[in-house]
Amino acid sequence: MSTHFFGLNDRSFAYSHSVGRNEFSGTGFRNPVDMAVGDNDVMYVVNRGYEYRTDGVHISVVTLSEEYITEFGSYGAGPGQFVWPTSIALDAQGNVYLADEWLNRISVFNGEGEFLRSWPDGFDGGASDDASGRMIAYGSGPDIPAGKSGSGDGELDRPAGIVISKDGTMFVTDSRNHRVQKFTLDGKFLGKFGTFGSGPGQLNMPWGIALGKEGNVFVADWRNDRIQQFTADGKWLASFGQSGDGVGQFNRPNGVCVDDDGDIYVADWLNNRVQVLAPDGRFVTALKGDHVLSQWGKDKLNSNPDMIRQRALAYSHNPGYEKSFNHPCAVKIDGQGRLAVLDHFGGRIQVYTKSKDPVLV
Amino acid sequence: MADENIALMAHLLRRSGFGASRDEIEAKAAQGYQQTLDDLLNPESQPIIEEDLVFRYNPSYWQSAAIENNVQAWLYTMINTPRQLQEKMCLFWHMIFCAGHSKIDSGYEMGRMVAMFREHGMGNFRDLIYRLSTSPGMMYYLDNTESHQVAVNENYGRELLELFSLGAGKDEEFNYSEDDVKACARAFTGWNNAPAYPPFPYGRSPWEFRFDPADHDDGEKTFLGETGPWNGDDILDIICKQPATARFLARHLYNYFVADDAQIPAWRLTPPQNLDLIQEMEKAYFDSGYDITEMLRVLFNSDTFKSESVRFAKVKSPAEVVAGTLRLVEEHREIKLGLFQHSQEPKYMGMDLMNPPTVEGWHTGREWIDSGTLVERINYASDLLGNTELPGVKGLINRLMSRGDSLSPETFVDGCLDLIGPITVDDGTRSELVAHAQKAGDLRHGSSSEQSDFTRRTGEMFQMIASTAEFQFE
Repeated sequence: MSTHFFGLNDRSFAYSHSVGRNEFSGTGFRNPVDMAVGDNDVMYVVNRGYEYRTDGVHISVVTLSEEYITEFGSYGAGPGQFVWPTSIALDAQGNVYLADEWLNRISVFNGEGEFLRSWPDGFDGGASDDASGRMIAYGSGPDIPAGKSGSGDGELDRPAGIVISKDGTMFVTDSRNHRVQKFTLDGKFLGKFGTFGSGPGQLNMPWGIALGKEGNVFVADWRNDRIQQFTADGKWLASFGQSGDGVGQFNRPNGVCVDDDGDIYVADWLNNRVQVLAPDGRFVTALKGDHVLSQWGKDKLNSNPDMIRQRALAYSHNPGYEKSFNHPCAVKIDGQGRLAVLDHFGGRIQVYTKSKDPVLV
Repeated sequence: MADENIALMAHLLRRSGFGASRDEIEAKAAQGYQQTLDDLLNPESQPIIEEDLVFRYNPSYWQSAAIENNVQAWLYTMINTPRQLQEKMCLFWHMIFCAGHSKIDSGYEMGRMVAMFREHGMGNFRDLIYRLSTSPGMMYYLDNTESHQVAVNENYGRELLELFSLGAGKDEEFNYSEDDVKACARAFTGWNNAPAYPPFPYGRSPWEFRFDPADHDDGEKTFLGETGPWNGDDILDIICKQPATARFLARHLYNYFVADDAQIPAWRLTPPQNLDLIQEMEKAYFDSGYDITEMLRVLFNSDTFKSESVRFAKVKSPAEVVAGTLRLVEEHREIKLGLFQHSQEPKYMGMDLMNPPTVEGWHTGREWIDSGTLVERINYASDLLGNTELPGVKGLINRLMSRGDSLSPETFVDGCLDLIGPITVDDGTRSELVAHAQKAGDLRHGSSSEQSDFTRRTGEMFQMIASTAEFQFE
C-alpha cells in the first residue's frame, strides 16, 4: 500500500540498465512500438519499422538481461505477417497476440513464434505481387490493401492496444471507433464500452491499455491527453490528466501500465517522459531517461571505432541527450516489479527498479 | 470554352500550390481570386497538418535518419497542407538554398532544413538568410565547418553571394569581386557546428550551430565597398540592401511562379523577360524591409500573372507532376500505406528531392524534359488518371456524366480537357483526341453497361490527355 506525503515525491526509481540499440534485425530494435512481458525475463518487442525498410518489421524476443533469443514475423498480408503492428500481449499459456492496425486483425502465435491463427475473419491477405512491376529498394513490396474495417460489434477499425486479463478476456482499444472492445482469445465478441468525445468515459483515438491488480482497465485516451480508468465491465471510474507539458499533463500519451501498488505509469509520448501517478491519479514523479550504453550498444561502437570518438565528443558537449527518452512509447512492469520503458527513437529499453520504501524528504 | 473564373483559379492554384481537385477549384472560384490570394499569402490563417496523426501512423518519421522517410513526409505535406503557398515556397527555397543528402547523410537534417524553409520562407529575407547561415546542415554542406581563422575555406562565402543572394551579375555588370568573396568567407569563420552523436548505436542527435569566437577572423575587411571588422551578421546586412539581391529574388520568383526564364548563370547577360514586373517586385522588397510575402503579393496581383499568355507556358517540375496529379485524383489525402512509392517518383523524373545535383540546384523549364524523364512523367500521370477507382477520377467522371445523357465525341473531349485543367491543346492534338473518341461514337450512361463503358472511355481519354505535350506544362 502506498503512502502519501503531502504531495511530495514518495517513490523513488533507480535506473538499472538498458537493453538494445537501433538495428534492423538481430540484437536491436527498429522503431519499436510495444512490448510484452513473458516468463523468465523474456520480452517480446514489436518493431514497426517503416515502409521503405520493411525488413525492420518483426517481433524481437530478448531478455531484460540483454540476451538475444530470436525474432519472428515479417512484413506482408499473409498468415503470420503484419504491416502496421501496434500492440502485443501474452496469454496465460504464453501465446503471443499481435494487433495490426493496417490489416485490422489480431494475429496469434505460440511463444516460439509459430503462427496459429488470426481474427476477425474477412481479410486473409493475399496481396503479394508488386502490381507496378517495379522493384523497390529494400523490398518495400506491394501496395497492400487495408484490411476490412467496421464499426459493428466485433469489428475493428485500427486496433491500437491490447491486453489480456487473467481470465482470458482480451481488451482492445479500437482506435478509430473510439471504444474498447472485449473478446475471447479466439475472437468472439464479448462487449464494448466508450464512445467518441471528451466527456467522462468518452474516448478519442485510444491507444495503450492496461489492467490493474484488481482488474480495472486503464486506457491511454490518446487524443484527449488523459488516462481513463474503467471497471472491467466498462463503468467509468476516473480520468487523470489534461493537455500540456506540465505536472500531470500529457501530450498524446500512448502507453500505460499499473504495478502491484496501484501506481500508474504513463508513456507521455510527445513530452518525452514517463509520468508516474499514484493510484488516485496524483502526480508522483516524472522520469526523463537515464540511459547508459547497453552491452549491445558497446558492441556496435566497438565494431565502428570511428564513431567512438564522434560519440565521445558529442557526449562531452551534451551528455543529457543520449540519456533522455526520445518518444517513449510503451511501459511495462516485469515479473520482478521492474519498470521497462521502450524508447521508440532510441531503439532501446530503459529499465528502472522501484524502491520498496517510501522516500523520506 | 472553359469558364474564365475557373480557368484563372485553376491557374492560381497550380502555380501558388500543387494544383487542386475540381471541387476545390470551384469552391475557391466562388470565394473569389482576391480572397483566395489573401488566404494563400496568410498561411497562418489556414489549418496546419495534424502532426500528431502523421507521427501516430508513421512513428518512424520522428527524427528519421532515413532520407526516404523525410521525402515521404514532405510529399504528404505537399499533397495535404491547406497552406499550399507556404509549401510551394518551401520547395522554392529548397531549389535555391541547395544542400543535399549525398553529403549531409542525415535525412533528419535535410528535413529540418526544409521545415525551416516552411516556417520562415514567406517572412523577412534578412531573417531567412540568417537562419540559412546558421543552419548546421548548410554549414556542413558548404564546408564552413572547415573554415577557420587561420585557414579560410571560401565555399560558403562564395555560394552565399553567387547562388543564395546577389547572383553573379545583372545588367551586364558583375555583382561582386573575388576580393568580396574572400572578405565574406573571412567574416563567416567561426560559424560552425557543435559535435553531434553518430548514427550508431542510438540514432543521431540534432545538429546544433555554434559560433566559436576564438576561430573567427575579426580583422578589418572590405566587402562591397564597405570597410569594417565584419562578422557574418554584418555581411548579411550589407547583402540585403543591395539592388542585386532584390533582382536575384525577383527573377527567381518570376521563373518559379510566372514563366520559365533563363537559368541563373545567364542572368548577367540575359535581361529579365518582364522588367516592369521585376522592378515592381524589387520595389516591394525594399519598401517592405525585405519581406518575401510583399513581393509575392505584387506578383500574384499582376496582370502578367493573370494573363492567358503565361498559362500552361511553364514546364512542371517533377515534384509538381507528382503532388499535382495526386491532388487532382485525390489519392493519399489521408494517412495510409503506399506513399513511399509515390515519393520516389520525382527522383525517377530527374528531381531527387532533398538531394539536388549540385549547390546550383536543378535547372528548370525545358531542362526537366528528356526522353527518359518524359516517359516517366507520362506513365505516372496516365496510370493515376486512368484509375477510375480513385476518388478524384470518379468525381470527374460523375461531373462529365452530369453534362448530358448523351455526349458527342467533341463534347466528350472538350469536357475531359476542361475537367482536367481546364487545359487547352492545339488543334491538331484535339483533332486526334476527337478522332479517337469517334471510333466508339457518342457516350451514354443510362444503363449499367453504358455507365461502365462511359467510365472506361473517360479513364482512357484522361490517359491520352496526360500523354499530350500540353499536360507537361502548368
